[in-house]
Amino acid sequence: MRFQPYRHPKNISKRTSKSESTSMRMHRLREVGRCPSAAPSETSGSTSPERAADDDTDFFMAQANDSQSSIGVANFRDSRLSSEPSEPLPPIGRLPPEILIAIFSKLVAPLDMLNSMLVCRGWAANSVGILWHRPTCNTWANVRSVTTSLGKPDSLFNYADLIKRLNLSALSDDVSDGTILSFNQCKRIERLTLTSCKNLTDKGVSDLVEGNRHLQALDVSDLRHLTDHTLATVSRDCPRLQGLNITGCSKVTDDALLIVSQKCRQIKRLKLNGVSNVSDRAIQSFAENCPSILEIDLHDCKLVTSASVTPLLTTLRHLRELRLAHCTELDDSAFLSLPPQVTFDSLRILDLTACENVRDDSVERIVRAAPRLRNLVLAKCRFITDRSVMAICRLGKNLHYVHLGHCSNITDSAVINLVKSCNRIRYIDLACCNLLTDRSVQQLATLPKLRRIGLVKCQAITDQSILALARPKIGHHPSVSSLERVHLSYCVQLRMKGIHALLNSCPRLTHLSLTGVQEFLRENLTAFCREAPPEFTQQQRDVFCVFSGDGVNRLRDHLNRHEPQFQEEAEATMYDDDEELDEDEGQMTGLMNATVINDGDDDYIDVGPLNT
Amino acid sequence: MSSITLTSSDGVDISVERTTAERSVLIKNMLEDLGDSGEAIPIPNVNEAVLKKVIEWCEHHKHDPPSASDDDDNRRKTTDIDEWDQKFMQVDQEMLFEIILAANYLDIKALLDVGCKTVANMIKGKSPEEIRKTFNIQNDFTSEEEDQIRRENEWAEDR
Repeated sequence: MRFQPYRHPKNISKRTSKSESTSMRMHRLREVGRCPSAAPSETSGSTSPERAADDDTDFFMAQANDSQSSIGVANFRDSRLSSEPSEPLPPIGRLPPEILIAIFSKLVAPLDMLNSMLVCRGWAANSVGILWHRPTCNTWANVRSVTTSLGKPDSLFNYADLIKRLNLSALSDDVSDGTILSFNQCKRIERLTLTSCKNLTDKGVSDLVEGNRHLQALDVSDLRHLTDHTLATVSRDCPRLQGLNITGCSKVTDDALLIVSQKCRQIKRLKLNGVSNVSDRAIQSFAENCPSILEIDLHDCKLVTSASVTPLLTTLRHLRELRLAHCTELDDSAFLSLPPQVTFDSLRILDLTACENVRDDSVERIVRAAPRLRNLVLAKCRFITDRSVMAICRLGKNLHYVHLGHCSNITDSAVINLVKSCNRIRYIDLACCNLLTDRSVQQLATLPKLRRIGLVKCQAITDQSILALARPKIGHHPSVSSLERVHLSYCVQLRMKGIHALLNSCPRLTHLSLTGVQEFLRENLTAFCREAPPEFTQQQRDVFCVFSGDGVNRLRDHLNRHEPQFQEEAEATMYDDDEELDEDEGQMTGLMNATVINDGDDDYIDVGPLNT
Repeated sequence: MSSITLTSSDGVDISVERTTAERSVLIKNMLEDLGDSGEAIPIPNVNEAVLKKVIEWCEHHKHDPPSASDDDDNRRKTTDIDEWDQKFMQVDQEMLFEIILAANYLDIKALLDVGCKTVANMIKGKSPEEIRKTFNIQNDFTSEEEDQIRRENEWAEDR
């Protein structure tokens, strides 16, 4: 049977005057326009196709399928007489509303959606939900326009119910409780992103969230004024919550989180960075009550101990990402008391930065228990030795990302073994591993997929290392370097020759740091550097030397013009754009987005007096 | 390679490789539930011309990896349509919408997706009047209503 334009049985031919429109909201009537495929879908409120491109930056966006939000189909508030089509339907008239919605969902530009709304009444009813799904609130002018329409009692549509995602983070500091008051009637928001709207308080956020049973994700990172009050509202009213990011909400306590863990049991992603009051009690309760947790980030939660980590690993069978950076109370008992023989096959990411009481015994245990780890961060676990690295070798091709910065016991032989065992490493950091020599880097240079290498303060390395990185890989086609980011600050022996060759053999290079390397602290070269961060002292500025983005290209051009004697490597220009996409590479960006700033820019961490 | 027979709404039998036909989740489920009795499967919603077109698409895409590409990733790249598909979709509107309806009925997500993208591309960058012309749609708004929509959605005109 072909689809026929839907005709509502209660197609009451009663023209409502404007003055009646408020009462019409009580029992809005479905509108059937004379336009083909006019009727709003009967299944209004059910899950419709996800709106296409998401360029939002909330922390859980990457996992669209985890918390898919629905697109509402709207009705005109104002019912009006409609007539049967006076002429035969055009071909597009055969498409039912759900297909029209699927088509409108492919549009990205709000203007295209608006133009579709203006085509005819039927199109308006089926596209307005897509347009208002995530209103663009990146400027004050837009926010004013959006809130004005929300506040109009006689607006054409009930826009407040159509908003499913609200993101005010672009306006950050300027957002006040008064601003979000205008959104209070939007009780169907599914994703609320208020990142760094620092001036918001409990009053504003709590009122906005109150009574919203649809909320799936809440990002209030850096709202330092928030207290347990807001979380109490969330746990009372938002049972469907799946993502909670309260990074930096340092007033929040264990008590509120305990209740969240008991009431919001569908939680999948939890980010509590810097919530310094959180302790084992709340974390253990999450482990016990929220079996769907996929990602948990406890960065800098200093009260959390090994007594949390064991239950998190053993009870959360889907756990994919566990971040415990700077949880300095952790020790080997966190891992040594894991039940033997049990493996955690879901775990992909483990961050133990600066958990220095985690030592070789733990690392051996972890690798055995989590054989599919892809990202392993052990930076500043300063007591680990080659034994740990040899254990990590067992991760084999699963390992893509490894950070061993400041693990200064590590030697060449361990690094050489690591490279031979784990040749899919894309990201490696060995900053301050000062036992390492050119032998390590020559081996690292053979990694076919290496994109980022951090060797800050590996002071023994010389141009031999850099020339090795610049050399085309044998047997790898096309033989163009995949290197994008190279950190060489304080590698004081480096000279022009190596760097010049590196620049010419790495067309994808977007970051090159050479802070504190004397050879490059010349005005004609630092001209292409980026600015030192504002908080730097004069002494730090004097040695700052980081080339990024176009600065890299300009440095390369400059050297090719003025230092031609080093241009020995054949210039490589062909690159392979359809590089293999790794399975679930896309999935890794979830909570990591927010921590991307930690992407080992050790140039900052390590900038300091040269004599260290 | 086993083949099955589909009967179009206008009563024409079309023989098709089973793996090709199984791009349609509807047919696939039907074969799984009922087993292949060897009898023709009636496709009452799709006429011969459209069914042949749909089979042509399934034939070309029979080795595509299942589902993975149908999901979110593809959805995000809204305008990207592969070259073969673009050519395939160069048909009159009548046929275009019939293909979309057939893909919907037969549950062939990837084809439905290509169809929707094709129509979306016909909308992109056009004014309301140009869109109406393209699809031969009659404007049923009063000019007050049009004004009101523009006013209430002013933010959407940004950039």
